Amino acid sequence: MMKRTLMTSVSLVLALGLAACGNGNNAAEGTGDAGTGGSGSGAKTKISYWTGDRHDAEFVKEQVAKFNETNTDGIEVELVVKGDDFDTALDLSFQTSDAPDVIRVKENTIQTFYKKGFLAPIDEFLTDELKTKFPAMPDLNEFEGKRYSLPNYGTTMRLVYNKDLFAKAGIEHPPTTLQELVDTAKKLTEAGKADGAYGFAQNFKSPGSAFARSSRVIAELSGFGGFGYDFKTARYDFSGFEPIINAFKQIKDDGSMLPGVESLDIDPLRAQFAEGKIGMYLSYSSEPGVYKNQFPAKIDWAAAPAPTIDGNVKGASGFLGGQWLGLSSKSENKEAAWKFMQFMYDDQVLTDYQEKGFGISMVPSVSSVAKTPDVSGIEGFLPNKYDGVWPVYPAVAPEGMKSDDAFFKYMLNGGDLKAIIADLNKRYNTALDSAIQNDGVKAEPDASFDPASLGGKFAK
Amino acid sequence: MNKTKNALFSYSFIFPSALLTLVLGIYPIAWAFRYMFYDYKGYGAARFTGLDNFSRILKDTQFWDSVVNTFIYAGGKLLITIPLALLLAAILNRGLRGRQLLRGIFFMPTVISTAVMAVVFFTIFNSYNGILNQFLIKFNLSDTGVDWLGPKYAMLTVILVAAWGAVGNYMLLFLAGLQNIPEDVYEASSLDGAGRIQQFRYVTLPMLGPVMQMVIMLAIITALKGYESIMVLTEGGPVGKTEVMFLYLYKLFFPVGGGSAAVQVQEFGYGSAVAFVSALIVGMISLIYFYASRRMNQTD
Repeated sequence: MMKRTLMTSVSLVLALGLAACGNGNNAAEGTGDAGTGGSGSGAKTKISYWTGDRHDAEFVKEQVAKFNETNTDGIEVELVVKGDDFDTALDLSFQTSDAPDVIRVKENTIQTFYKKGFLAPIDEFLTDELKTKFPAMPDLNEFEGKRYSLPNYGTTMRLVYNKDLFAKAGIEHPPTTLQELVDTAKKLTEAGKADGAYGFAQNFKSPGSAFARSSRVIAELSGFGGFGYDFKTARYDFSGFEPIINAFKQIKDDGSMLPGVESLDIDPLRAQFAEGKIGMYLSYSSEPGVYKNQFPAKIDWAAAPAPTIDGNVKGASGFLGGQWLGLSSKSENKEAAWKFMQFMYDDQVLTDYQEKGFGISMVPSVSSVAKTPDVSGIEGFLPNKYDGVWPVYPAVAPEGMKSDDAFFKYMLNGGDLKAIIADLNKRYNTALDSAIQNDGVKAEPDASFDPASLGGKFAK
Repeated sequence: MNKTKNALFSYSFIFPSALLTLVLGIYPIAWAFRYMFYDYKGYGAARFTGLDNFSRILKDTQFWDSVVNTFIYAGGKLLITIPLALLLAAILNRGLRGRQLLRGIFFMPTVISTAVMAVVFFTIFNSYNGILNQFLIKFNLSDTGVDWLGPKYAMLTVILVAAWGAVGNYMLLFLAGLQNIPEDVYEASSLDGAGRIQQFRYVTLPMLGPVMQMVIMLAIITALKGYESIMVLTEGGPVGKTEVMFLYLYKLFFPVGGGSAAVQVQEFGYGSAVAFVSALIVGMISLIYFYASRRMNQTD
């Protein structure tokens, strides 16, 4: 009998314990009143900052420690660095009332987080000085007239090339047109093949990731929306991609593409480039940091502006960014969270951020005084007159194959690219119409939209 | 009185696991059941669309290609795994020296995380600097190596990796089954003049029937649902050559790739409908197998 009672009690305790698990963090959140910093109460106001960034994790950790030590409001920030599961973990945290107070937002997540109601506007905290200092960018940090984040750094896109292999092949300049890209890849392969080096590579394990850093920038510089959306007509039109995809296919057919690109991820691609096995590829300004820390480059390399379709710049090379930290709508300590954000957006922190090479500042008052980042190879990535911020395109979920997969399939198997593009246009526009009608997506034609006018704002 | 007490006592034991099943098993299924009739992208209001998601499935060639790929993948995996597991079990069931160690070695892949295992295999099979290609080139078996994860061989590679991960597990189950066959049956058959092969054919296989039925059933379901190692090795590529049903489904809920600035759209509604149809396919195949294999369960 005694045994039974004991077992029943144990079961009950276990069951209650499980039920209590869902609210594990409430104790930490209860230390401050909603909207107050909780100063002077003696107890710490605990807030959490979630980020998915790993490249600057050490730097951010130092800043958080500094804030925790120096702030006089009794605020303690817990830094949580998530991996690839950042978005999923955040979704879950909002389902379980376990959401962070401050959230790292990016150019491809802020719209979704805003729509999901994860973010709180920060206008009430912004002074006029801050509003002028940090440029407002519609759909990137501003929605329906309210600000949800402030910019810190931006990412540029360039052609990264192996200078040693260029010298060996007797090529003096990186290519500026698609035809030159094809020809250069061929010459580099001829010069390097005996040592296992090839002219060009793309990380086609994920075609989406490969094209977002290659065809996109070529299209944007040539005046086409990098994801197939035409801002003038407010319709999807992939026809600008035809010569670009054909050039990539030509490079592959010529045998100038690194063998095995079908299963190549971006990190293995970088590892191969660092070893001198790749002549050129297109990517983001995060590359110099990679060759400094992750894969020390054994070759002399540099970055140059991406080629355009025909040598004429008719648009702007995307300068990606416009946001950094966002305030959680579920935060019970918004004022404390803002104080932490304010600390992170301090001139000194942002200047250090650029000078230590974590990113290229997008804040005019910082970029005008901050020194060139201390990372070799970054020079080629610094903003030039052709870098500019593109407006945000309306993302849709078309039925059937996505554009990246369709283009890669064409590169491998051939076919009628014009027909493929016509099919993509049809499916993407059907999805766009549905999104406008049912999901409140906005897509207004802008006849005066001039992609060439996007550049020149960050450098002359 | 005593009966009520007993029942209460039993319920108190069932309660924790029932609660977990309800929260982690039944609730998500009910959630998916609802959303398969909706267009829902994870934000805003879900829009009721009736059977639209299902008519989209009928036209979705990517999904049906993934179903075909699933059959190829599952079929290939079973063809390698089951005979090999049975053979290994039969060998290790004998008084072989060091068999305990060998059992441990063969079982090891089962306890290794699928993702870790796939990463290791990626370093072996990748085309540009994989260990296998370096070996082939070094010993002049190939000039440039083989594109193991390319369009031609990717499916074969993912099947081999999956089989490697599964064989030890099924071997252990077969081994348990073999050890349950009484020794006297073998003695009797050998008195009747049966040789080793005849014993295997007429004693071992029939007496292993119920275990075999269960093992194959498990293997079918696991193979039809498997996608983790494929995700690490190829992400379903190149161009969908290794995209299996559950990987396609996973990508609808959690889109992968796209790179910076590509805004990902999650398709919870359509994903739920695809999940339902996929589960239906797995369920139907299991039922057909169960019906077709019912004789295996009869040992007498």
